[in-house]
Amino acid sequence: MDGGRRRDRQSALTLVAEQRPDEGRALAFCGHCGRRPQRGFRAHARVCESCGLGLILRCSAQDAPPVDGAFLVLDARLRVCAVSRRAEQLLAVSETDVVDRHLSALLVPAEAQAASGESLAVAIVQAAGGDRVTRTAVVRPANTFGVRINARIASCGPRPAALIVLEL
Amino acid sequence: MRYLKTSEAAALLNVSPNTLRAWERRFGFPKPQRSPGKHRLFTHGEVAALRDALQEGLSISSAVSRAREGLAADTSSLIGALVSYERERADAAIEAALALRSVDRSVEEVLLPTLDEIARRYTLESAPWAFAAHWAADWLRRATRLAPPPVRPVSIVVGDASRDELDPDAPHIRAFELFCVRAGIKVLSLSARGVAGIGDAVALHRPNLIVVAGGYLPDDAVARWAYATRLAAGAMPIAVYRRTGQRTRVRSTGTSVLPPGAGEARQRLLELIDASQLARTLTDSPAAAGEADSDRPGMRSASF
Repeated sequence: MDGGRRRDRQSALTLVAEQRPDEGRALAFCGHCGRRPQRGFRAHARVCESCGLGLILRCSAQDAPPVDGAFLVLDARLRVCAVSRRAEQLLAVSETDVVDRHLSALLVPAEAQAASGESLAVAIVQAAGGDRVTRTAVVRPANTFGVRINARIASCGPRPAALIVLEL
Repeated sequence: MRYLKTSEAAALLNVSPNTLRAWERRFGFPKPQRSPGKHRLFTHGEVAALRDALQEGLSISSAVSRAREGLAADTSSLIGALVSYERERADAAIEAALALRSVDRSVEEVLLPTLDEIARRYTLESAPWAFAAHWAADWLRRATRLAPPPVRPVSIVVGDASRDELDPDAPHIRAFELFCVRAGIKVLSLSARGVAGIGDAVALHRPNLIVVAGGYLPDDAVARWAYATRLAAGAMPIAVYRRTGQRTRVRSTGTSVLPPGAGEARQRLLELIDASQLARTLTDSPAAAGEADSDRPGMRSASF
């Protein structure tokens, strides 16, 4: 009887599509420095123990920003919720000055992508709504021309938000 | 008002005390007061507001922003009550502010900014300003009456050179007096118009320092009052508070200028009094004991 159940379970498992090791796994990271919480991190604590200046966010492992990477977090109204330390340096802003401001104060679609400005907004809104599809866009700093930055847009949480990782 | 030590506030927020100090440097929030021993004291309301904002926040900046918005709501509700001429609602609004802050911070962060905003929006000749200024003067006097009795062996005389309670400096002067009383200082507030009999008042009060506050009365009127006061009490330090152009007009070498903020002015005043008491200690030393005695030995050489 037990052997039959085990066989059934094994056959059911083989029906699940093969996944990459990280795919679908949630990963925690600091919204300021991008570091991963160390083992023993108190699950109920939300503040990064490394830098003390960011909250612990979660996203799927393949969408997670690199440690000390440049990334932003936006809500569904395209308002800036968090700016990483590296993004602060890259965009020459301070998180405390730009939080709650519209994305367009920081990033706009790059010139070649101008027609897709709406799609950038749509991608962010969908990611902020919890859509798990990862999208890409080409953007530039709002006050700078001639710079193109590849951006990866994905969903993060715990409160659904859009994570924009600037790939340098 | 409930206060938390750094360790208690950090425990409530589930962070380390170092992190809390880092937030104070980066975000200026939560903003602690200082105990007499210079230790940080956080108001429970601010810490609790931040804790709630952190639960759902995506960054500390946004959580701080939300917590600040929640606290700023007190100013908006007080403005709304005052421009609607609703005394009870204004009382309730300031009570709500007091639930989250100390009296001093409620005055500095809610009451005075509210008055400044009403003066800016409606001008000083408006009915809303008249109502708001009267309500504020009344509230500040009530708060002063409810303050604990003086505990420091320090007293000051405030010469009020403002016009009346509609003078924009008047609420700041009342706030300054309130802060001094709350710091344990004995305060005698008199109009700088009243020169006759000032000698008796000063002799009874025996001030350590005289403050001339407000910029309405002309220099000669203020100088007459200050002269009469010093004639009765002897040479003693004089400080000026919220007197426009005070640096250029006051010629006395013993005059100090207090910062315009009531809290900062109170702090500077305490420093001046400490300095004068230090000077008294030095002049009371055995080497100086042979010098002529006076009614208030501490004041005879105090100058700034």
